[in-house]
Amino acid sequence: MIVPYSHVLILAGLLFVLGAVCAAARRNLIMILIGVEIMLNAAGLALVGASLRWHELSGQAFVIFIMAVAAAEVSVGLALIVHCQRRTASVDANSYDLMKG
Amino acid sequence: METLLLLLLLFPLATAAVNALAGGRLPRRAAEALACAGVLGALAMAAAALILAGRQVFDVTFLSWIRVGGFRAAMSVHYDPLAAVMALMVTFVASLIHLYSVAFMREDEDYRRYFCYLNFFVFAMLVITLADNLLFVYLGWEGVGFCSYALIGFWYRDPANATAGRKAFMLTRIGDVGFGVALALFFYLFQNLSITHINAHAAALSPALATTLALLLLWAAAGKSAQLPLTVWLPDAMRGPTPVSALIHAATMVTAGVYLLMRLFPLVMLSPLALKVIAGVGAVTALYAGLAACVQWDVKKSLAYSTISQVGYMVLAVGAADIVGGMFHLLSHAFFKALLFMAAGVMIQALAEEHNIFKMGNLRRLMPGVALLFLGGSLCLSAFPLLGGFFSKDRILLATFLHPEWSYRLFWGLAALGALLTPFYSMRLYFVAFRERPGGPEAQDLRRTPKLMVWVLWPLVVLALFDGLLNLPGGIGKNFLGHYLAVVPGTRPDLGAPPALEWVMGLGSAGAVVLVTWLTYAYYRRPRRGLRPWLNELLFEAFYLDRLYLAAVVRPCQRLSAFLWRADEGGLDQGLERLALALFRPYRRFAGFLWTKFDELVLDQALVRAAEGLLGVSRGLGFWTTGRVTTYLKMLLLGLTGFLVALALRWYGW
Repeated sequence: MIVPYSHVLILAGLLFVLGAVCAAARRNLIMILIGVEIMLNAAGLALVGASLRWHELSGQAFVIFIMAVAAAEVSVGLALIVHCQRRTASVDANSYDLMKG
Repeated sequence: METLLLLLLLFPLATAAVNALAGGRLPRRAAEALACAGVLGALAMAAAALILAGRQVFDVTFLSWIRVGGFRAAMSVHYDPLAAVMALMVTFVASLIHLYSVAFMREDEDYRRYFCYLNFFVFAMLVITLADNLLFVYLGWEGVGFCSYALIGFWYRDPANATAGRKAFMLTRIGDVGFGVALALFFYLFQNLSITHINAHAAALSPALATTLALLLLWAAAGKSAQLPLTVWLPDAMRGPTPVSALIHAATMVTAGVYLLMRLFPLVMLSPLALKVIAGVGAVTALYAGLAACVQWDVKKSLAYSTISQVGYMVLAVGAADIVGGMFHLLSHAFFKALLFMAAGVMIQALAEEHNIFKMGNLRRLMPGVALLFLGGSLCLSAFPLLGGFFSKDRILLATFLHPEWSYRLFWGLAALGALLTPFYSMRLYFVAFRERPGGPEAQDLRRTPKLMVWVLWPLVVLALFDGLLNLPGGIGKNFLGHYLAVVPGTRPDLGAPPALEWVMGLGSAGAVVLVTWLTYAYYRRPRRGLRPWLNELLFEAFYLDRLYLAAVVRPCQRLSAFLWRADEGGLDQGLERLALALFRPYRRFAGFLWTKFDELVLDQALVRAAEGLLGVSRGLGFWTTGRVTTYLKMLLLGLTGFLVALALRWYGW
């Protein structure tokens, strides 16, 4: 393995934090979804690196599963966003506070 | 053999799936043909399997389904003569009902959903029939429950129909709880859920455990088979389309409970107490539903109560340890009850959805074919001598009478009384609906019904009239069915009754049935009103069991939820305050006025303060519940950061 595992981990960590910040700071529902996806992929990257590091294929298999699940989840999320957009004509996350206690 | 059994299960499932997924693109005829082909294919497989298997027993495992630790559940099949007969009956009756449905639902636009559920229902029933693993049985059990819910409420736009569907679902669900507990107990005791394994090792159980298990199974069977005290869903289930009533509530589903008891009979047999309870439930239900059937004016409801009553005889047969008799009656009942329901469906459609038999009449002149069919079915139901139900019901009564325990004499009395009522209520339907009545419907009032609806009934009437030949009490074909079923553990092909007793019982019941039939004929020669009003109402409402449930269970639940809802609406603190007041008012009265001050000043204040404190806490918590996704995400990330920091600190040993 040419790239040391620590570098992969650092990249994955950076991506994860970037995604988290994107999800937390942005108000646009689509951007939040993108942030969550970036976080997922960061985790996937860490898994692939780990599977290379320890020569264990199950890590890569796991990533394929994560991708499939993420694709399904994004489709559901996007459908929900489209529904919200049609109902209130807004994709601002803060305009949805029906559950306020 | 494996292939046959697999195809037997897969045919209806596959057609249900195709109709569900692609039915919209198929032309109507193709979808209907597909649905019928699925069941007819299953019928062919069932017949072939029966012929090929003979009296052998096959255990086939299709695939291992769940494997977790020591827990194994496989999709496996235990094919013995009992299952063979049942599968053949189910597929045969279901095939005719599918053909009938094609004509019956000709004006319904929702035929796709209908046939899909109908096919899936047959599949689920076949799973119950064949499955070896109890978890697999449970799958079919729930599938049957779901399909009955969907089909009873098939015309869901009328709220009453949807309510009837829900009621059936809830009540059978109460029974399913018993089955679920029994499953858990089986697994705990045997580490295995295979019926064959359980039956083989049941003898090692302690009597108390065997009784518990058998009673749990009875509880499950009572839910599915509409036995007391869970009868009330079946009469309401008549709101579904008539072929559904014929399929679900006459031929197949209600017999599932009895069939389960028969399948696990070697276990049930171990506990005399449980057998006694089973026999008691069956006998009381047989009489109870028979009484209720006597005064119904709705032809389908009357048939529904008669179904409950007849299933009661099957349960009684299990209780009297005679599963051959039970199976025999199950078979003959399936034929004549499906026949009666479908004939009633023809009448109802011809008279523009008229269910009231007292508004019918003249039908023998107007619909001679249907009249013959209905007469055949009614005679079989009333156990007319030498016809279908006669031999099977006689065998059950004989088995009950022969049981040495004295309580069985009582059950025999109840069941015999019910058997006397049977000719009355079944012939009453025929006489009232078919005989001449001035002012009844005339030829111009009749709607045309497809001929197919009557054609499919002829095979049924032939079988219903002559299925007594399967298990004659004497002569050439003596106990044919009994000997065929002999390999099933726990069967007694021959009851071993003294011939004199057998003759006396047979002749006695034959004479009684003929007498009651004649009396019914004489009574209904002229148009009649009902019985005395109070008695009529008591019987019509089936001893107010429905209202009892409404008053004892449904209303209090509604009230409680309404109270909680109000409490919730008034806010937490008000609810608490009200609760406190409600709790303390009697106490205050009891303590007298000396305590008033202390009570008001200290206790009430304390409670109010406590409530205020709680309100403050909830307001404080409510501040954080912004309802905004971003806030929650931030909190989540903050928490995650804190967690990771703590981990990192521990890692570096700080």
